[in-house]
Amino acid sequence: MSYIRKATISSCIALTVGSVSVQAANWLALQGTEPAGASERANVWGFVQPEYQYTDGTELKAGPFAGKPAQFNQIGPDLDTNSTFSIRRARLGVRGTGFPLDSNVNYFLLLEAGNNGITSNGGGSVKVTDASVTLNHIKGARFRIGQFKYPGSEEGLMAIHVFDYINFTNVTNMMLLERFFDSDGSVTSVGANDPNGSVGAFRDVGVQVFDWFNTGNWEHSYAAMIGNGNGIARGDDNNDKDLTLYWASERVFGGEGARRQGLKLYAWHQQGKRTLATGPTQTVGDFDRTRWGLGSTFRKDKYRASAEYIKADGMIFNGTDGAAVPGTLNNAATAVASWNILPEDEADGWYIDAGYKVLPNIELDLRYDTLNRATKTSSEERTFTTWTAGAQYSFNKKTRLIFNYELRDAEAPNLAGSAVPNQILDGMDDRVSVQLLAIF
Amino acid sequence: MMSIRNTLTVVLLAVLVFLGNAHAAPSDKPFAEHKIVIQISDDDSAKQTLVLNVANNLIKSYGVDKVDIEIVAFGPGLRLLFAENVNAGRIDALVDNSGVRFAACNNTIAAMTNALGYAPALNSRSKPVDAGIVRILELTDQGYTLVRP
Repeated sequence: MSYIRKATISSCIALTVGSVSVQAANWLALQGTEPAGASERANVWGFVQPEYQYTDGTELKAGPFAGKPAQFNQIGPDLDTNSTFSIRRARLGVRGTGFPLDSNVNYFLLLEAGNNGITSNGGGSVKVTDASVTLNHIKGARFRIGQFKYPGSEEGLMAIHVFDYINFTNVTNMMLLERFFDSDGSVTSVGANDPNGSVGAFRDVGVQVFDWFNTGNWEHSYAAMIGNGNGIARGDDNNDKDLTLYWASERVFGGEGARRQGLKLYAWHQQGKRTLATGPTQTVGDFDRTRWGLGSTFRKDKYRASAEYIKADGMIFNGTDGAAVPGTLNNAATAVASWNILPEDEADGWYIDAGYKVLPNIELDLRYDTLNRATKTSSEERTFTTWTAGAQYSFNKKTRLIFNYELRDAEAPNLAGSAVPNQILDGMDDRVSVQLLAIF
Repeated sequence: MMSIRNTLTVVLLAVLVFLGNAHAAPSDKPFAEHKIVIQISDDDSAKQTLVLNVANNLIKSYGVDKVDIEIVAFGPGLRLLFAENVNAGRIDALVDNSGVRFAACNNTIAAMTNALGYAPALNSRSKPVDAGIVRILELTDQGYTLVRP
C-alpha cells in the first residue's frame, strides 16, 4: 500500500473518529437527548470495569464483635474478603432515535451485569439501570420519562465511565448512594436487615422536565424531576413522590462532550419521604429525606478540579452494629449485626479534588473528602475522612487503567479516644484499588 | 452573406446557451481550478461529519477561490440538511465563508413528507433540486468530480 493511500485512509479514520459530532455538553443533555438530525436508530454501546481491591483486613478491635471481620475493611458488595478481583460494572446499552426522521423522540436503555449493589440485591444478575424516553417537542421544556439518573450531585449524575476515581467519596457513598431498607435495624435479633432491593444508583423512576440555554459563552441548564423515590426496577412503596431540582451554569472554554472544558457552578435539592419500621416495636411510618448540595467543576488544558458540599437531613445511613459485617453473630451469641438507619438525624460532607495531566495519556489525581454522620446525636456522630491519591493511564480514548490509594480515617469525635467506637474505627485500613475501564 | 437578422439570431442563441450553462452551474467561483460534487445519501451521523470535514479540507488545501464545491443530499442523507441538524452551524460557516453550496433532493423531501405526515423543516441555506442523483449527473457532465466519502 502506497504511503499516500495509507495517509489518506488514516486521515479519513482520524476525521471520522476525532470529529464525531456530540451534542451540548452537560449531563442532562448528554444522557437525555440525542444529536438532532444525526442520531442513529440504535446506537449500541457499553463498558466493562474489571478491578482488584485490597485492604489489610484488620479485624474489629473492640465491642461485641471483637475479633470478627470489620465491615469497612471488607470489599463490597459481598463483604466476604478483604482482597478480591471483581467485575465492578459490565454495562450494555442502546440509545438513539427510533424513527430517525423525527429527532423529537429519543430513547435510552442500559443494562447492568457487573457485581455491585445494583445486581447483588433484589434478585436477578442483570438489571435495567436506565430505560427512558425523551420528548423534545417543546422549546425550553424537554420531558424525559422512565428510569434514569436524577439531576443531583455531580459525582452521582456524571457518566460513571468518565469518573476519575474507583470508589465514591464518603458523603456520596453513604448519603447519596441510597440503600433501601424495611427497618431501621434497631432490633438486632431479627437478622442483617439487608436492603430490600438494589442500591438507588443515583436513579429514580419518574418524569423530568429540563433544557439548557446559552448566553454568550455561558450555558445554563435546569431540571425538575418527580419520581417514586424508591430506587430502580420497581414501583413506589408509598404515595409520596420525590421532587428534585437542579440548576447549573457553565462558562464554556471549548471542546465538547463529557470532557468539555469549562467552569461549572451548580446547585441541587431533593426532597421526599421513606417508609420505614422503627424502634423496639418496629412501628411503620414515613420519614422525610432531604438532600441538597452545591458545587463546582473546572477543566482546562492539563488541569481539572471539582468540589462539592452536600447536606443530608433524615434517613441517615448509619453503618452496621459494632461495624461488623451484617449477619455476623456477636461474641455473646445474643444478637446479629445489622444495617442501620437513623431516620431523623442529619449529616453533612464535602469533597475537593484535582487532576493534572503530566503526559497526554497520564493523569495524576488527588482528592480529599469528609463526612460528618449523625450530627444531631452526639454519641452516634462519626467523622470519616479520606485522602485518595490516583493515577490514570489511557491506552487510548476508550481504554484506561486507574490506580487509587485511599488513606482512610474515621473517629467518633464526641467520645473519648479510648471509647469502644474509637477503638473500632482505629482499625480502619487504607485501601488499594486498580481498575481497567474499556468502553465500546 | 449572413443577413443582419440571421446574425442577431446566432448571437441571441449564443447568449441563451451561455445563460443556460450559467444556470446549470451557478458557481460564483470563476477562478476555480477544481470542481467537486460531494454525495451524502447514508443514514450515518459519522458520514455527515465526514462530508463536512472533506469539504472543509478541500477549501483549506486549495483555497476558497480555487475550489468549487456542491454537496448533494438525498435519501437518508437528507437529514444533514434538516434545519434542526446539529451540524447547522458548520453548514452556515461553509456557505458564508467558503461558498460551498448544499442541494436537497425534492424526491426525498416528498418521500419524507409522506413518512412524517408533514414536510421536514430544511436548512435555509440549502437549495432544493428536482432529484439529487440527477443533479449529480448534471454536475459531473459539467466537469465536476464526484466524491462519495
